[in-house]
Formats: sequence, C-alpha cells, structure tokens
Amino acid sequence: MQLAHTLTAVARRNITMMKRYLFNTVSALISVYMVFCLAFFGMKAFAAASASRALDGTFEGTIVGFFVWTLAIFGYSGLSWELINEAQTGTLEQLYLSPAGFKWVCTFNLMVDFLVNVAAAVVFLFAMMATTGRWLNLDVASIAPLLIVTVLGAYGAGFALGGLALVFKRIQAFFQIVQFAFIGCLVIPWRIPWARFLPLSMGNGLIYRVMAEGKRLWELPAADVLTALAVGAAYLAVGLAVFSTCERAAKARGLLGHY
Amino acid sequence: MEHHDGIALEVDQLKKVFRDRGTREVRAVDGISFRVAPGEVVGLLGPNGAGKTTTIKCILGLIRPTSGRVAILGRDVASHYPGILSQVSAVLEGSRNLYWRMSVWENIEFFTGIHGLPRRQHRRYFEHLVERFGLADKRDVEVRKLSQGMKQKTAVVCALAKRTPLVFLDEPTLGLDVETSYELRETLKDLAEEENRTVVLSSHNMDVVQDVCKRVIIMTAGRVVADDSIEHLMGLFKTRAYRLVLRGPAPEGLEAGLAAHFPGLEVQSTPHMTQVRLRLPEPNDIYMLMDLLRDAGATIEEISQEEPDLEKIFLEIVRKERENQCNSRIP
Ligand SMILES: Nc1ncnc2c1ncn2[C@@H]1O[C@H](COP(=O)(O)OP(=O)(O)OP(=O)(O)O)[C@@H](O)[C@H]1O
Ligand SMILES: [Mg+2]
Repeated sequence: MQLAHTLTAVARRNITMMKRYLFNTVSALISVYMVFCLAFFGMKAFAAASASRALDGTFEGTIVGFFVWTLAIFGYSGLSWELINEAQTGTLEQLYLSPAGFKWVCTFNLMVDFLVNVAAAVVFLFAMMATTGRWLNLDVASIAPLLIVTVLGAYGAGFALGGLALVFKRIQAFFQIVQFAFIGCLVIPWRIPWARFLPLSMGNGLIYRVMAEGKRLWELPAADVLTALAVGAAYLAVGLAVFSTCERAAKARGLLGHY
Repeated sequence: MEHHDGIALEVDQLKKVFRDRGTREVRAVDGISFRVAPGEVVGLLGPNGAGKTTTIKCILGLIRPTSGRVAILGRDVASHYPGILSQVSAVLEGSRNLYWRMSVWENIEFFTGIHGLPRRQHRRYFEHLVERFGLADKRDVEVRKLSQGMKQKTAVVCALAKRTPLVFLDEPTLGLDVETSYELRETLKDLAEEENRTVVLSSHNMDVVQDVCKRVIIMTAGRVVADDSIEHLMGLFKTRAYRLVLRGPAPEGLEAGLAAHFPGLEVQSTPHMTQVRLRLPEPNDIYMLMDLLRDAGATIEEISQEEPDLEKIFLEIVRKERENQCNSRIP
C-alpha cells in the first residue's frame, strides 16, 4: 500500500516536471525528427543519383532504427540524467530517505518515464512514416515485447552511468559518448556474429523483421528472440551491479549529497 | 503519534573515518554515544567540521559509518533499513531538499508520497503546516520563485509533513534574517511541544538552540565534549561569572593581582569608574576576590552575576577542549 503511494507520487512529479519542461521535451523530439529528415532526404538524393535499388529496404531500416534509438536514448538519458540532476539539485538524499528504498523510487520513475517515452516515440514514428510515405507493419503484440527486451540494454547503461555519476560527478562527456555508441549498435548488421552481443543490436534487428518484413513474434527464430532477451537482461544486470557498487562507494565516502 | 516509551534514538560508539585516496585520514566522527528520549528536543552544536552533519547522515544511513550502532525507537537501523526510515524525516544541510520547479504544495505531496503517506488523508495537516509557517499564499508558487527564507521554511514543512516521530534538522535557519529565524524557531518550538516529536537540531545560531532545545550535545573534532540540559549548563556557568563596578580608576597593580587568579579577566578603566569582568575557578574564590579588592583599596559600587548565554558557554567549552587537546599533545 505504501508502495502504491510512492508510485503515485513519482508519477505525479514526473508529469508535473514534464509540463514545466515541456519546451525541452518538445524540442528534443523536434531535433531528433530533423536529424531523421536529414538522413532520409540525404539517402533519397543518393539513391536517385546512383539510380540503383541498393538502398531499398534501408528506409524502413532507418525508420525502425530511429524509433528504437529514440526510445533507447530517452530511457538511458532519462535515467542517468535523473541521477546526475538529483545529485546536483540536492534532492537525491531526500529520495534516499524513502522508506520504500531508493531502488523503488528509481524503478517507478523508470516505469512512468518508459510509458511517456513510448507515447512520444510513437508520435515520432508516425511522423517518420508520414514523411517517407512508407507505412510499416504496426503489430503491437509482437513489437511491444521486443521493444522492452531491446531497451533493457539501454537501461543497463543508464544505471551504470547514473552509478558512476554518484561517485565521479562530472561525467557529462562520457554520457554523450555512450549516446553515440548506441547509434553504432543500431547500424552494425546484427548478422555479424559478435554484433548480437551488443546492446540494442539484436532486438533492433528483430523489430525490423516485424515492422518491415511483416513477421509475427512467434514466426521469428526462438533462438534469436531468446538471445536478444539474454543479452538485454545481461546488460541490465551488469548496469545494476555497477550501480550498486557505486552506491556503496558513495555511501562509504559520503558522496551522495556532493556535486 | 505512536507512543514509545524508552529511547527514541540511540547512538552507540558511532565512528566515521574518511580516507582521502589512501593517505590522509579524517576522523569526522570519533566513537560518539548518546541517547535521546521521546519528545526531547536536542541541539547538536559544534564548530565547523566538528562532525555534526556526518553524525546525522550516519544515523540516516546516507553515509555508511566505519563502526558503531544506531537504533531508532529501539530498532537497529542497519538491520531494519530502509523500512525504519518511515520513522524519520530530515532537512539536510547545504542541499536544496526541494524541487525548485515544483510548487510548495507539489513538493509537500511528493515528499510525503514517497514516504508512503496517502496525500488525501493528510491534506488537512499539510494545510495546517503551510498556514503555521506563513506559506499559505505561496502554496501554489514554484519554489524557485520564493525567497531564501521561504525556501528554507518549505523544506522544514516537507520534513514535518511526513509526521514522523523523529525529525532531524541540520542548519534549518541558515541564511534566514532575524525575523524569519525568530518566526521559524517559535513555530518549531510550538510544534515540538504540541505534537511531542523528538527533534535533533543542529545550528550555529545559539539563540535558536537556546530557545528551541532543552538539551545540547556539543561536539568538537568528532567527539562529544558536553551533553547536558541547557538549564544545567546555564547554572554551571552562572555561578562563576561576575561583573563588578569600582569607584574611580583602577588601583595600581589590581589588574595584575587579579589576572593571576581569575580566568577571563577584563578590566575597563575610566577616571570615574572601573569595570571588572571575571570568572571564579571555584565558588569559594569569591572571598579571595574580596580580599584582593580590599587590599588594593578599591571601593565596590556594584556587583552582579553575569547572565550567561549559550553562546558564551559554547565558546568556553570549545576553548577548554582545544586547550586540553594541545596540552595532551605536549608530553
Ligand atoms: N565526504 C567527505 N569526504 C571526506 N571528508 C569529509 C566528508 N564529509 C565531511 N568530511 C570531513 O569530516 C569532518 C566533519 O564534517 P561535518 O560536515 O560532519 O562537520 P559539521 O560539524 O557538520 O560542520 P559545519 O558546522 O561546517 O556544517 C570535516 O573535517 C570534513 O572535512
Ligand atoms: Mg554540517
């Protein structure tokens, strides 16, 4: 019951904050959309010039890639920025005083944000499809589980960076490098044997097969789906382990309230 | 409020050593012990770096102590963490404690919410607190738009709104003007009495501590050097501090004669009168003082016991402690 009140409080805070920072939220979406337009029209011009069909299917891949990337980035940055910001604005220690435990405050925050991010990413997805005129297969029952499996890796990275921020404080530069590394993970063809062990890669490939090739979840090779799940879970576990190690170090060195 | 007889807070041999990259060691808290009874309002005093904040954060589990034990309402904190936090709330030093982008009311609802309180059920009490702290007309204003004093009051309200039996306030009056600080301490005092809460308050503002607390724990260099009721401390120091007014200028050699026996001697002399301030090391030294004055041929016009205040007592205790430490270092 107490947990329910904690969840309600976190949800209400996030929605309030989102309204207060509406400009930031919207401008983040618009800038991602503009980057997408650049990529799309660039590719289109290239395809026209080379008069080949080599890029067929790439548009779909780009849309799926951007869709997964925005979700991953929003999830990852939302989580680690949250920790960095809370430490800087001096509310982190108050969150640590929750009798539910900080991990629940964090989990609820993550869940609420995930729902909001999905809504934003779907709006973005429709914008991309409208812009390109390529309408993809939106099989929610197949996509939703794959999406969750895929972003697990991003949340793992978010926890790891958030943890490092507790101890090392100034890690903004590093934070952005990881953001770009995600693009790498999405661009690398996941059929390369080792690429499937990167975060996002495998899941992104599976989502592509659903959205662009019209496959259903159960038509996908079970081994691939399980690999994606195992990889995502492994990254999340590593991220959580890094986070708790850092948290312990921060408590031992008295760093929770510092910035 | 739940009733707990026994002990609200027990700190036993608490110790925190910070290690700076292996080499330097800072003994921020050096094996302190104390107990606080339910309903007590205790002041935690000490010069900068004495270890007050570290002590509070160790109690709250925000800093992991090197060793020692803390119990809240008879329950061991380490083994009941984090559930035990439902019994405590805190305003922490130096940090904002609030979301500046949310209103006073939104902050109250959020922080009580993550504390596990249903907001609807406690609305009346929140309103009561907001009213008491004079924030009613700022209820829906974003915190960043409030003055420093109002922000500080909001932080205190957010802590009190959790309705915990134990409240920690680390420097709640920092940066407040005289009036706001006065208002805050009056409100705190009333609330502590009305609601029978146990409060641990750290402050450099002695007026606040003297006014709100019944007991003080004084720390220097990570140790407790005094733990006593303010009344008793006042009594201790009251009997020993005197102020005398003598007729005419100070007699020859009087100052030197007095200085040999009485610490804290101050002599101010004008052609018409002389004012002498001193402390008696022992109660019976008053006779020696009288003898010295008579021998010097002084005429006493006025003699009064100086009313000590907490600030003087605090300075005196800290000074003595420093002297002791210096002496103990010289073999
Ligand atoms: N995170 C930390 N790492 C290393 N040393 C620390 C840390 N926090 C505090 N200290 C040291 O521990 C000692 C006690 O600090 P603390 O903040 O507890 O003092 P305080 O009594 O609250 O002082 P103030 O009145 O200035 O608030 C100081 O010497 C301080 O430098
Ligand atoms: Mg302090």
